[in-house]
Amino acid sequence: MRVESGAEEERLVREAQGGCSAAMAQLYSLHWRGAYRAAYLVAHDAAAAEDIAQDGFLAAVDALDRFDRRRPFRPWLHRIVVNRALDWARREALRRRVDGAESVFEPLPPPEEIGGEMIAALKELPAEQRAVVVLRHLLEYTPGEIASMLDLPRGTVNSRLRRGLDRLRETAEAEQLAEGRR
Amino acid sequence: MSDGKLNCALSEISIPEPPGAEERGRQIVAAAFTERTSGRSELRGALAPKTSERRSRRPLPRLALGLSLAALLAVLLLSPAGAAVRDWVDDTFTASAPRPEPTLARIPGGGKLLVQAGEGPWVVRPDGSRRLLGDYEEASWSPHGLFIAATKGRTLSAVEPGGTPHWSITAQARVAVPRWSPSGERIAYRSGFDLRVIAGDGTEDHLVAGSTAAGTPPAARISPAYVAPAWSPDGKDVLAYVTGTGRLRIINSETGTPLAAAPALRRITWMGWADGGRKILEASPGKLRLRPVLPAGHPSRPALGKARLLPLPPKASVNDAALAPQRSLVAASITYWKQHGTYSEVVVFRPDGSQGLLRVPGSLGQVEWSPDGRRLLVAWPGASQWLFLPLDGGRGRAVANITRAFSPGREPTSFPRVEGWCC
Repeated sequence: MRVESGAEEERLVREAQGGCSAAMAQLYSLHWRGAYRAAYLVAHDAAAAEDIAQDGFLAAVDALDRFDRRRPFRPWLHRIVVNRALDWARREALRRRVDGAESVFEPLPPPEEIGGEMIAALKELPAEQRAVVVLRHLLEYTPGEIASMLDLPRGTVNSRLRRGLDRLRETAEAEQLAEGRR
Repeated sequence: MSDGKLNCALSEISIPEPPGAEERGRQIVAAAFTERTSGRSELRGALAPKTSERRSRRPLPRLALGLSLAALLAVLLLSPAGAAVRDWVDDTFTASAPRPEPTLARIPGGGKLLVQAGEGPWVVRPDGSRRLLGDYEEASWSPHGLFIAATKGRTLSAVEPGGTPHWSITAQARVAVPRWSPSGERIAYRSGFDLRVIAGDGTEDHLVAGSTAAGTPPAARISPAYVAPAWSPDGKDVLAYVTGTGRLRIINSETGTPLAAAPALRRITWMGWADGGRKILEASPGKLRLRPVLPAGHPSRPALGKARLLPLPPKASVNDAALAPQRSLVAASITYWKQHGTYSEVVVFRPDGSQGLLRVPGSLGQVEWSPDGRRLLVAWPGASQWLFLPLDGGRGRAVANITRAFSPGREPTSFPRVEGWCC
């Protein structure tokens, strides 16, 4: 099912706040994939992304009564999910630095799907740059919205975005060059 | 490569998704939503007539509001449950905040404290002398105080109180909330999204409830919130924990076999076995609840009975709760707004009613029972004090400068947390 308008989503949130489980189920169906995608692209770990997306929805259920339904649900959920995924990615990075451990979860399969090189390139970015690039270019939030979601100055968002994109571009161009040689 | 092409490449990314991930999440979210809704309808049912319509946002007429408040007050003061609530209106306290001593020269009532501060856990001896155990993140006493289970990153260690490591293991993920069983033979701990149990000598480490990746069914996964698992005090291999779906689950710690389950308190922060294993106490920021554990015809297959809320003042927040060793007493530190100010109280719940021990302006924190169950250590972070309050109404003691005592030679960061008061 697609939500045709903000008014429709507002209705679902209102009904969920009133205790309607069908409305909550529809909100879940509408936003699960986006939440999982956001978590995965920041955390780069499928099992962790699943847990983070679930936690995001559980936090949303917990805070549903306080949610201002005049505001869109999606950025609210993504704010929770991306911040949790960032926390997870930072902890993982710290853990790897401290003890050189392998990931707790199963390693990712080699990137054979469409955009596999781009996923690998994204993974090489620092988590903070990755989160900003994902929010801007995959989830299509404006820099102002990202600044608000991550509680950052807008200038910091812009600089992380620029640095992240520059590194992605370098990777993509190197890949193209290698492809041409093959 | 242009921005447009880069954008296009990013938007074409295809993402691997674990099989059944969406459905697993759907079940968990639906269970959490049902739990939230049922909890709210219980509250609504107690205070107002049931209605399928949402309440209008229009302000209530003043008369109706007055009548509602009067009715609510009558319910609170006249109902049996309200009889306990009434105590909060005209309560008396057995102690006032004692004059603080400047340094911790001894522990009133004796015993040893395990205290977590910015640099790591400290062991405080009965004479007040203290020693930094090491660079650990969490620590907890073994039942007789001979060892301490300490964590750092992915490492779980058993350390002697003098600091000598006894054994260490490296887990697959960050280790947290280690808890010794009452016999001292087992330690339950969390590693990432897994709940594991290890023998007290560092062997026989095994998984009892895992993450989705480990193949544990969604309804049995441990909660993402760090609610510590709790061992049954009767010495059997029985462990309680909270699942990600918000259920209180009791399992056999050796086999992982489920023994009983019931909805946990919403936003649960802590739980413990009370009354010799016959009840489970749950705490959330606004509630304290006791749930009977029934034998159900066979001691190895307990069942969970109907939960009962402990009476608290209206809108009180629960800072901490603790169960007295060997006794059916619950101590709680609560904070609420009264007469234009914030106050905190230490309350002891007994089977026959409750007793206010102390009221102070501002916020109190943690409560911890002495090993003999005759006094309480109460944290007062705003005053940087520990209060030692006897239950028999005798003179309490206060010790000041607690934050500084556990941050020698450096700027204090946070108020130390007592991880245990041992034998």
